[in-house]
Amino acid sequence: MSPQHDRVRRVAAGIAVASVFGLGAMGWSSTLLGEYSVMDMDGGDAGHVHGSRDSGGFPSAGVSVAGLTADPLRPADVRVELVARRQAIDIPGGRSVQGYTVNGTSPGPTIRARQGDLVEAVFINESVAAGATLHWHGIDVPNSADGVAGITQDAVPLGGRHVYRFTADDAGTYWYHSHQVSHEQVEGGLLGAVVIDPAPSAAGKPANPYETDAVALLHVYGGQHTLNGRVQDGHVTAEPGSTARIRVINSDQGTAAVWSAASVRVLATDGHEVNGPAAVDGKKVLIPAGGRLDVAVQAPAYGSARLHVGGARSISVGGPAPGEAVAGKDPAGPPARQPSETLDLLAYGAPVPAGLNTQSPDRTFDYVIGRRFGLIDGRPGNFWTINGQLFPDVPMFHVREDDVVVMRVINESAEVHPMHLHGHHVLVLSRDGTPASGSPWWVDSLDVHPGERYEIAFLADNPGIWSDHCHTLPHAVDGLVAHVMYEGITTPFTINGSRGNQPE
Amino acid sequence: MRRTYSVIAWIIAAGVVVQAASIAFALGGIGRYVQDGGVIDKALVESRQATFTGDLGFPIHGIVGGMVIPLAAVALLIVAFFVKARGARLWAAIVLGVVALQITLGYSITDMPYLGLIHGANALAVLLTAVYAALLMRRSTRNASATEPAADVTAT
Repeated sequence: MSPQHDRVRRVAAGIAVASVFGLGAMGWSSTLLGEYSVMDMDGGDAGHVHGSRDSGGFPSAGVSVAGLTADPLRPADVRVELVARRQAIDIPGGRSVQGYTVNGTSPGPTIRARQGDLVEAVFINESVAAGATLHWHGIDVPNSADGVAGITQDAVPLGGRHVYRFTADDAGTYWYHSHQVSHEQVEGGLLGAVVIDPAPSAAGKPANPYETDAVALLHVYGGQHTLNGRVQDGHVTAEPGSTARIRVINSDQGTAAVWSAASVRVLATDGHEVNGPAAVDGKKVLIPAGGRLDVAVQAPAYGSARLHVGGARSISVGGPAPGEAVAGKDPAGPPARQPSETLDLLAYGAPVPAGLNTQSPDRTFDYVIGRRFGLIDGRPGNFWTINGQLFPDVPMFHVREDDVVVMRVINESAEVHPMHLHGHHVLVLSRDGTPASGSPWWVDSLDVHPGERYEIAFLADNPGIWSDHCHTLPHAVDGLVAHVMYEGITTPFTINGSRGNQPE
Repeated sequence: MRRTYSVIAWIIAAGVVVQAASIAFALGGIGRYVQDGGVIDKALVESRQATFTGDLGFPIHGIVGGMVIPLAAVALLIVAFFVKARGARLWAAIVLGVVALQITLGYSITDMPYLGLIHGANALAVLLTAVYAALLMRRSTRNASATEPAADVTAT
């Protein structure tokens, strides 16, 4: 082989190698997000528009999310001040862990309001370096109070404050948590419970017939399963024969199971009452990550009934408290074995008109969850896809106010995804073609298991830009987040910019 | 290139040993954790904060099985095209095949736990084929050494 020939070969090889690297670098840098607005995210048409309404895309001029507020002139009925700090969390019964607190504790204080109250929460970030927000999980707040950094507000910086105002329209069990770097801050404990009591009926008697009412907030801190912040089982003192309403809040990243050897009833899912709840015997009930379940437990004639909440903790209802009992004898009896059978909420309770006509929806969307290897923001990984596309090329669900929207959520991946839509409650219509046959099943957090196909519907009655994401929060970081956008609504906020907004 | 081929094949074989060791370590750790009153549920798994002895076995099993071994198996097949030895490509292809099957089985176990039975058995197939491919080089090096002293000559 001649030296000249050899040189040509080397040059050709050099060019080839340089081209491969160059193209690779170009491809890589093309995935970098930089500063962006959700307004620019539109990975193609995900749905169908029905009837006389025109095409899915809308002109983007119009009202800013910041203008979508509760009545600014109305005085607050319930006012709280919530101070977020980065600090060690004291965990009774366990070891303390570094995390985030609200007013010095985690979970933070439970906010209690009455239906119809105007709630005003003054949020102060004392020492969370990355900034923080408060999202009112499950409460259909006005968009400006939704607390999603980079979409409805800027993350509250160190020393900053932000006021959230909303009316507590729906009675039920909810929770609040940060929606800035949420996978880290929620896991770290920047959260708390919200209970909205029903308004008294016209006759003046309380609408809540349960003598006893208790919050059971589940959270894992540094590998420790806690109930209301303690590595200890709980006890609710109740008269024999009386019924307690246990409000179980799953603030963790995965599904929690609830079960009991006693007969229980599911009173509400995600803040919506079940109509005609039947007794649940020998079955467990699952709560998706972010979801809530109100369970009625009756105190037995002697001792107490044990309700298992999550795999590790339980709460006993009745009397006396375990500490006061005869040594070595637990009045709640031994732990009950977890039933293998699961209560199907699709067919639980008595049917009643749901008040949402889904016969001829205005819009139909597909939300198909998959997974593949790729790059997001220059980071390689095995990422979640929506309708086959990687973030940020995910669909934007364009709606108009008063649209009836039907969404098909299909999970083609191998893991369960608790899908959470902000600002709305969705009605489950069917699963795998089987129509819902029980009480209307309203949720804001819905577990979609591998291979399952849910048809859900909601009324677009709360204008704004709303996240629709997986509440196993690391999944949202890995691309499982899309948005519902109302016609004519815009946001001045951006993600990844100088304000450091990172909602997931 | 023969040497590269055989080193990669040994890496795959060693990877199988690491896989068996790491999963046994992890399951042993789970047994101990549960025995001591620990609870493993979806909340703990997704929190990625499990702290029991042996929990490191799971990420090791995932990284070695999901990345190291498959990348090595692909590299083995690529290298095989530059190796002048009988059966090098065939055995590299067989190794890649059983590795692909192994990964498919591994990711499907949660859906169908019975596949775990095949996953465990197929691991031995990965080990044996990788060792065979590695030894193939030694044999062919011995045969070829008389005629072709420079082992790393590629097609020119």
